[in-house]
Amino acid sequence: MSTPNPNPENRQINIIDPAFTLNPQPVYDEVLTRYRVAKTIGLNSPVISRYEDVIWALRHPEIFSSEMDMHVGLGTERPMIPQQLDPPLQTRYRKILDLQFSRARVMEIEPDVRRHANELIDQFVDAGECEFDRDFAIPLPCRAFLRMMGLPQEDLELFLELKNGIIRPPIANPYDIAAAKEYRAKTGKRIYAYFEALIDDREKSPRDDMMTYFTKVELDGKKLTRNEILDICFLFLLGGLDTVTATLGCSVFYLAENPEHRRRLAEDPSLVPAAVEELLRWQTPVTIVPRILKQDWELDGVQMKAGSMVSLLIGAANVDEQEFGAGEGKCVHFERERNRHIAFGAGPHRCLGSHLARMELRVGLEEWHRRIPSYSIKAGETPRVSPGIREVMYLPLVWEKGGAA
Amino acid sequence: MKVRVDLDRCVGHGRCYELAGSVFAEDDRGHCLVKRSTIPPELEVAARRGAENCPEDAIVIEEE
Ligand code: HEM
Ligand code: SF4
Repeated sequence: MSTPNPNPENRQINIIDPAFTLNPQPVYDEVLTRYRVAKTIGLNSPVISRYEDVIWALRHPEIFSSEMDMHVGLGTERPMIPQQLDPPLQTRYRKILDLQFSRARVMEIEPDVRRHANELIDQFVDAGECEFDRDFAIPLPCRAFLRMMGLPQEDLELFLELKNGIIRPPIANPYDIAAAKEYRAKTGKRIYAYFEALIDDREKSPRDDMMTYFTKVELDGKKLTRNEILDICFLFLLGGLDTVTATLGCSVFYLAENPEHRRRLAEDPSLVPAAVEELLRWQTPVTIVPRILKQDWELDGVQMKAGSMVSLLIGAANVDEQEFGAGEGKCVHFERERNRHIAFGAGPHRCLGSHLARMELRVGLEEWHRRIPSYSIKAGETPRVSPGIREVMYLPLVWEKGGAA
Repeated sequence: MKVRVDLDRCVGHGRCYELAGSVFAEDDRGHCLVKRSTIPPELEVAARRGAENCPEDAIVIEEE
């Protein structure tokens, strides 16, 4: 399987090319078969991609550290909790956070998320068309998240604006790094202020919700500080919305282009949970997870220095035939017996929101296909996929009017 | 067949209790609890399915 490239300098892959985010599979093929460690155009770091290498790195935070707030200017003033911390500190926070994001907790809000999904569909089902990202994939996770946190649904627009201000700053020239940084810092301050006001409110008038929990919960006998709560909430806003939006878009984009899979899902809703997993594997919307080396490290003849960044290409790991079977890794199979995909990461940083995300994806795909079983991409239109997290930013769909109620 | 979970490896992906709820359950944090360590023959398929889908290889199966 491995044919090491004699000249590491030539192991270049381009991951900011729009062709990559639209269809990363050819690049995954190339890195998996040829470059155990690749270099990237666009990210100034080596990339590792085999399932076995990536999962090993994810499980060894003492070598592959997440402490990197200085490296990704996202408008934050301190590291985000728990993502930018390493165990054992990270794990201490996870103990109190996991309780709020367990499958059991998530199931409590499932009926509300189902209602939100239907209210969104109500708005466009009779028109026979929609722009999937704007009309469904963006608002559904935001509504679900507001519900999960116990925040008012009226905050939807504000929430989207704050999140976009960090992830895609609306500046005239998107390549103006200084302007982007300034916009992010400004938005970051507004995000802190928004959550601070909530903390004040819940300290005065406690409720049965997650913000109140944060103001009361104790970690090793001490309450969380205000900054700790803010550093957790900031991460929720960045990690809990776009990721689900991107996965909904990538999944429905795939189904619109592959009508035999779409038909099976529409005819047999019991396939949805497995389809969610398989589409997460195949599309892996969060394609890359970064780490900082704690020590010098060598793989496949490539030397990497302590303190430098390494990117883990989980998208490629998720189609590695060594893990998923020869031929099998590259097919989409809803009935896959064994699917140990790592679209939510692995090891101690396993996505805190994975149970919430899975529920949103399942409910979203169930309700969509119940009411709009047959749909396709509008003739003459070309969907667009964003760089970074693979959000299908433009996905115009059409269907026959008069579907199920 | 006997089943146990290595809690040093389990990080709460929840694949085991999602796919094989007759054998595995979740604790408060969403980590794995083995409901019965000795698996009757009719649940062996479920136990294997849960174990095989754990991304952390946290579930250990011992055939007798
Ligand atoms: C399909 C949707 C989602 C995908 C694909 C996804 C993906 C990921 C990945 C790959 C990681 C690991 C990052 C790393 O190892 O550095 C992660 C971590 C995280 N995710 Fe998600 N995520 C999703 C939804 C959510 C949601 C809904 C939330 C809600 C709050 C969330 C909150 C988090 C948090 C807090 C972490 C950091 C965990 C830690 O470092 O201990 N995610 N996510
Ligand atoms: S699938 Fe594995 S990691 Fe996840 S809860 Fe079960 S035993 Fe733990």
